[in-house]
Amino acid sequence: MRRGMHSHYVLKRLLQIIPTFLAVMLVVFLLVRLLPGDPASAILGDRATADIVERTNRQLGLDQPLPTQFALFVWNLLQGNLGDSISLKVPVLRLIGERLPVTLFLTVYAAALGLLLAVPLAVLAAVRRNTWVDALIRGVFQVGLSLPVFYVALQLLTLLGARLGWFPIGGYGSGTLGHLYHLFLPALTLGLNLAAVLVRTLRSSVIEVITAEYVEFARAKGLRPRLIMTRHVLRNALIPTVTLLGLNIGALIGGAVITETVFAIPGVGRLMVDAIFGRDYPVIQGLTLTFAVIVSLVFLLTDLIHARLDPRTELS
Amino acid sequence: MKRLTRVTLTLAAALSCGQALAVTRGGQLVYGRYADSLFLDPVLNDANLDIWILTNLYDTLLQPTTDGKGVQPGLASRYSVSKDGKVMTLTLRSGLKFADGSALTAQDVKWSLDRARRPDAGAWSSSLASISSVTASGSTVTLNLKTPDPTLPAALATFNAAIMPQKLFTAAPGKNDAEKAKAFAEKPVGSGPFVLSEWKRGSYMVLKRNPYYWKKGEDGKALPYLDSVRFEIIPDDNTRILKLQAGELQGAEFIPLSRVAELRSSPRVNMTLFPSTKVNSILMNNRPTLNDGTVNPLSDVKVRQALNYATNKQALIQVVTYGTGKEMKSYMSSTTPLFDASQKGYPYDLARAKSLLAASKFKNGFDVTVLATSGSADDLALLTALQQMWGALGVRLKIEQLDAATKTARYRANDFQMRTAAWTNDINDPSQITSYYALFSNIESVHTGFKSAEIDKLFAQSQQETSRVKRASQYRAIQSLYLNAAPIIYLYETPYPVALAKNVRGFVQIPLGNNIFAGASLEK
Repeated sequence: MRRGMHSHYVLKRLLQIIPTFLAVMLVVFLLVRLLPGDPASAILGDRATADIVERTNRQLGLDQPLPTQFALFVWNLLQGNLGDSISLKVPVLRLIGERLPVTLFLTVYAAALGLLLAVPLAVLAAVRRNTWVDALIRGVFQVGLSLPVFYVALQLLTLLGARLGWFPIGGYGSGTLGHLYHLFLPALTLGLNLAAVLVRTLRSSVIEVITAEYVEFARAKGLRPRLIMTRHVLRNALIPTVTLLGLNIGALIGGAVITETVFAIPGVGRLMVDAIFGRDYPVIQGLTLTFAVIVSLVFLLTDLIHARLDPRTELS
Repeated sequence: MKRLTRVTLTLAAALSCGQALAVTRGGQLVYGRYADSLFLDPVLNDANLDIWILTNLYDTLLQPTTDGKGVQPGLASRYSVSKDGKVMTLTLRSGLKFADGSALTAQDVKWSLDRARRPDAGAWSSSLASISSVTASGSTVTLNLKTPDPTLPAALATFNAAIMPQKLFTAAPGKNDAEKAKAFAEKPVGSGPFVLSEWKRGSYMVLKRNPYYWKKGEDGKALPYLDSVRFEIIPDDNTRILKLQAGELQGAEFIPLSRVAELRSSPRVNMTLFPSTKVNSILMNNRPTLNDGTVNPLSDVKVRQALNYATNKQALIQVVTYGTGKEMKSYMSSTTPLFDASQKGYPYDLARAKSLLAASKFKNGFDVTVLATSGSADDLALLTALQQMWGALGVRLKIEQLDAATKTARYRANDFQMRTAAWTNDINDPSQITSYYALFSNIESVHTGFKSAEIDKLFAQSQQETSRVKRASQYRAIQSLYLNAAPIIYLYETPYPVALAKNVRGFVQIPLGNNIFAGASLEK
């Protein structure tokens, strides 16, 4: 494919994000307001008198009709202003700026660990298919997949953190090395879960490719097995895995909500949970928009990588 | 005998002296909190997450005593009240300074109290409502009162009466008080034992020693002993405990009561249960009909009393609080000033419960729905136990689980039949809980709809009664009337469970909930 077409495609896809974005905005705006309970109840708690609740709603502009509130929200958004958090009294944009890098770091780290585990093990399982090695690898990951994330998290924390003292118990650390060290256990928790999903797909696609005629041909040509594996098998077998990985990035960010709580990581997952319980409308809106953008971009990236791995893909 | 007393006293003095010399200075205490603070302004905000640590940053004229029963001198070294009870005069200590080194003057006091008592200044302005004007001259602050106010000393020892630096606050960016408060609260400066030095929201907060703090330690030098306190935000209970056991924390709050016994036997942990003002009860809707128009059996006082008698508090204390709780005898905790120790509460008596119910209009039993907080293990343990206990009366309890904000919204709309509830005082005076629990004019007696003209009258009198003895007898009557009317199910009082490393000394969480780090030290 020509380079010009490529960038044209990217631009088109980016423009397509805008209506998605608008729809997400409207849905989220309405959904948070449909939740029973309101910000004033959440901030002021059980003791507030009717007067104070009314005053708070007025100060927050929540006494205005919904269309007015929505118009104001969009108007502010166009100026790059997501509003202030109701409970924390600081700009939402600043909160996201502080917290999002933490979650992204964790997500990428988890994806990397997941791939590091999944690719060699899936290849091994495929090559030794229907032997005890294959059964063991598949069995272990099948069990891993059925264990809840918080349980795995707690076990890792207790064993590798508290008992053996190899890793710190929760927290984010400082500096890149500090982050890598502190986030190892949470990234492993998420990575294991991801690897369990990937191993199954990757194993079957490797088997499919290994038995394909062109691989037989390569083998007959006398190519070294390692070369066959990397150049022919993996490249083709990875295609569905990339799609699956892309689809799972959303789930990874979702999984971060639980992981961030157990491991005391100050990311957006925890911010979202607190915001929902606190009915902090501006924070919920801001975060949902951010997630929508990230997921859209990841899907775009997945398609681009897909096209690169499989030249037959048409980007249009 | 006399000699023995003298010897004992000398020994005690020697021991306490020895202890005094042993206090270690310096170090950082890392304390695990379950959630972060929200907004560090004492006036516009009253969330426990803030006010329970706020006194470390901002000092008040008077301070609550650590037993929760009274007040002690703070920024003011003494105070007096005129004979007619309408003028209160406070004398400030000399040489008081804010944490930035600037002088704390009587003008700062006037400005702070004036800001806090503005009617639009948050929920707490009413605690200072009896003040008609504040005057400042030299080191003397005079409060002129509209009426005598026995609650004022306690009010001046409460978070919203914190003294703030007028100059720094007014110099903060912002068009109005609310905006300035937002800016100032990012990096607040007060005259408390510590000053905020770093805050990464949702992650950690570091409080540094305020070198200008007025209070002296046991070694005769200025408090605090610690160089700094670092709050780590760790929402998960298990993680907080693991971190403490691994030595990464020296203190952890809100230990689940189910883990108390285990931590008590841990050699590295000093599991402490601080007496609190926390009372746990079930609020009942006392109205004849519910919001949907159905007849409400809980409007019958005999039914409410029967349910109270059928509640086996001792069993619940074992099941829900793992033996750490204490039977509730009055609607206020036994740590609240003027709690009446002669109150009987509702001792478990199933026979009496049955005869009361038989004498009511609902002798064949009925269905009742209770709102619980979803995800709360305590609520579920409590309510499933109650299902069994009340089942013996023919009362069928249904549990409806809701998230906290929804539960609050339903409660505020009086759209509930029963709900679980807990309360802690914010001020060392019984008037706060009484105005919420027993006065319809405030929030409809915690939305139960309970109304008593007699209590209203006694309460109004007690708010101006300067004789402690007379006020105590008014409160005895209020507590008895309330008990008899049983607008709520009396359950139990629970402590504040804090796990500390063995080398932590002098840390206190007072019954109001305030965490006091001024006298805390890390011993070798």
